[in-house]
Amino acid sequence: MSAPITALLDGETVTAVAGEVWSALVGEGELLLPGLGPVAPAVDGPSAWVTVTGPWDGVVVLTCGASGTADLTRSVLQLDDDEQPTAEDVDDVLRELANILGGNVKSLLPGPSALGLPETGPAPLRAEDEDTCRVSASWRGHDLAITIQGASEAPAHHTTEVPK
Amino acid sequence: MKILVADDSRVMRQIVVRTLRQAGYDDVDVVEAEDGADCLAKVGSESPDLVLSDWNMPNMTGIECLRALRAQGSAVPFGFVTSEGSPEMRETASDAGALFLIAKPFTPDTFRDALDAVLA
Repeated sequence: MSAPITALLDGETVTAVAGEVWSALVGEGELLLPGLGPVAPAVDGPSAWVTVTGPWDGVVVLTCGASGTADLTRSVLQLDDDEQPTAEDVDDVLRELANILGGNVKSLLPGPSALGLPETGPAPLRAEDEDTCRVSASWRGHDLAITIQGASEAPAHHTTEVPK
Repeated sequence: MKILVADDSRVMRQIVVRTLRQAGYDDVDVVEAEDGADCLAKVGSESPDLVLSDWNMPNMTGIECLRALRAQGSAVPFGFVTSEGSPEMRETASDAGALFLIAKPFTPDTFRDALDAVLA
C-alpha cells in the first residue's frame, strides 16, 4: 500500500496542473483562480471522475458549480455565448476535463498505475481524511473543486476462530 | 491526405480536429472513430495516411488497436493523443510501433512538432 495522497501531492501542485489543463482546453488566458483558505468549501454541482489503480488506488474528481457547467462547455467547444449546450456535451466536457486532470495527476504518483474511463454522476467520495487532497478554485466566478481521494479499504476481518 | 482521429469523447475528437486546423493542417481530410474497434475497421475502409488515437477507450483500447493493425500487416503511421504520458506508456507505445505520443493537454505547436515529420 502506498503512502496517503497527502504525502504524495500537495494542493499547490494540483492547482498548478489544473491551471495548465484549463489554459489548454478551456482557452488561452482563461484563469483558474486558486481558492482561498485552507478549507475548500463544498461545491454544489455535477462531478466527473476517473479512477487510478496502482500503488496508490483512488479517484480524481472534478466538481463544477451548477452555474458554471454551461459556460464551461461553451468555452471548451467554442460555442456562441447565446448557444445552449446539450446535456450530453456538458457531460462529455466534464468527463474529458476529469480524464486529463486524472492523467496528469497519475503521472505525479508512484507507478505503474492505470487510469479508468471517465464517469459522471454523484461523486464517489467519502468524508475527508488524510488520504484526501482537495482544492477549490474559481473560473469566471464559478466554483470548482478537485478532489483526489484514496479508495477506502475494506474493514479488517476480525475472528475469534483459532486457525487449524 | 487523410487523418483518422479515434477517441471515445466527441468533445476530444472536436478539440483534436480544431488543433489540427490551428497547427496549419487546413487541407487534410479528417475521419473520426469512436473507439479502438471502430478505428481498426476504419483503417481498413478509409485508408488514412495517419491515425491519431486516444489510449483509454471502451471496446478496444488504442494500444490494442495498434497491435491488431500491426498483426494484420498494416503499417499505417500511428500516434497517440492521450491524457497520460508516463515513460512506461511511451515505451509501450513505441514498442508496439507508434511514432509518437502526445500527452493532453496539448497545443498546436505540440501537434506540429510531432506531425510535421510524418506528414511531410
